[in-house]
Amino acid sequence: MTIKDKYAIAGVGYTPQGRVENRTTMSFYLEACRNAIEDAGLTKQDIDGLVLYRQFQPVPGEEEITPYAVAHHLGISPNMLSQEANCARVHLYHAIAALEAGLCKNVLVCYADNTKLGNLSEAKMQSQNQVFGYFGAAGGYAMAAQRGMHENGTGPETWAEIAVAQRRWAALNPNAYLNGKPLTHEDYFNTRYVVEPFRLVDCCLLSDGGRACVVTTAERAKDMPHPVVTVMGMGQHNPSTEIVQSDWMAGPTGAKKAGQTALSMAGITLDDVDACQLYDCFTYTVEMTLQDLGYFNPGEGKDWMRETGTGPGGKLPVNTSGGQLCEAYFMGLTPLAEGVMQLMGRCGERQLGPATGYKDPEIILCTDNGAILQTHTCMILGRY
Amino acid sequence: MTIQKPLPVPNADNKIFWDACKRHELVFPRCRECGNQFWPAAFICPACHADQLEWVPVSGKGRVYSFVVYHQAFHPGFESDLPYVAAVIQLEEGPRFLSNVINCPVDQVHCEMPVSVVWDDIDPQVSLPKFQPAA
Repeated sequence: MTIKDKYAIAGVGYTPQGRVENRTTMSFYLEACRNAIEDAGLTKQDIDGLVLYRQFQPVPGEEEITPYAVAHHLGISPNMLSQEANCARVHLYHAIAALEAGLCKNVLVCYADNTKLGNLSEAKMQSQNQVFGYFGAAGGYAMAAQRGMHENGTGPETWAEIAVAQRRWAALNPNAYLNGKPLTHEDYFNTRYVVEPFRLVDCCLLSDGGRACVVTTAERAKDMPHPVVTVMGMGQHNPSTEIVQSDWMAGPTGAKKAGQTALSMAGITLDDVDACQLYDCFTYTVEMTLQDLGYFNPGEGKDWMRETGTGPGGKLPVNTSGGQLCEAYFMGLTPLAEGVMQLMGRCGERQLGPATGYKDPEIILCTDNGAILQTHTCMILGRY
Repeated sequence: MTIQKPLPVPNADNKIFWDACKRHELVFPRCRECGNQFWPAAFICPACHADQLEWVPVSGKGRVYSFVVYHQAFHPGFESDLPYVAAVIQLEEGPRFLSNVINCPVDQVHCEMPVSVVWDDIDPQVSLPKFQPAA
């Protein structure tokens, strides 16, 4: 018994994104959810499952984001309410498991944020490590990247390829925060360090706004407005160990097994993948994900990227919206939404297809990561 | 007036560690059952789940497993330290410990460099184990 192609992502909800004034976090949740429901051709009564991403510190004076608060304001009483705490990337697992068990018919998955306090960069670390000035997701990933430099010979030369390629995708996306802000290799190396070896351009954005999608059965999706995009395969691997105590700073990370499981369920190999939408909290994350998926050997990323091309016109498009680095940061919904939209043919100037020198995409591999290389999900989407 | 850095907040799992720091001793929990010496402290051994732990001193010698250099203050208390090194220290005896490398120009810190513990006495109640280049 397999879930391959049984379930579909049938609607995507966007909101204004980037720096958006005079909006509460809750308002972005509601707008994203409402837009996803509408995009799927549904009404609020059709939604019987709500799965949220984790929330960071509530902005003072604003309502805490809980799944029942969001449901209250949406005017729904779903059969399933869920909110992951602390980066377990189980959203699609929860949605599909509930659908498979017949407990829900249409599940809404959402994340939104209001970055007034800029709190993402101060993501909670153990208080003990704070006494040594070790803060932020940037600190943890940079720690891993430094070891990657030592063991694999990687470094900023590789990461510049990623940053520049994704900025070129953002140039084709009017909704990308860094649209209209080109980045050359020279610009990359002239950018200041934040937590060395990471420069500002190695780090993802903080974004106001939200993103949501509707997960349902492929059968029901056939009657919905857009082309059917199914989940062909899914995999997870959660090494869990905190990065300081881990043995995989230089790989293989959980992306390896998560990818293997997803590819196996989908019954495909990497050769069948038309594009990748990869969780890109940092450039290094993209390198390690591609490496662990099997696209190149440790340390060979720079040459592979130069040869293959991951930007517009390249042989393997990666993060075609600009990604979390250049479009907007909405957790795993940034890559997942773009994967869905590309397969639906709704990406305008950046759409993969004959107009941009590609075949119409049929299979897109998406990833979602959490904490510091501690949780990993791989989701393979297909045009049905 | 300089803003204070965060101080350790000992809990029931790790109080012994911070008390030992006051005496300039570096100790880590070790499982009596399987010998696994680990960090951070926890109620049970992550390897075998036994809950008979002893706290065993280490030499304070190790190598830098990895490190980063902060060029931006994520907390105002560290503004005056910029740039500073946070490092994962691989201790000789096995555990890995997150700390700072000090008494070394930041551009000379490198993976695998030998280091040894040096104590930063914050106040009569708190001493922090930090690391400096060893011969």
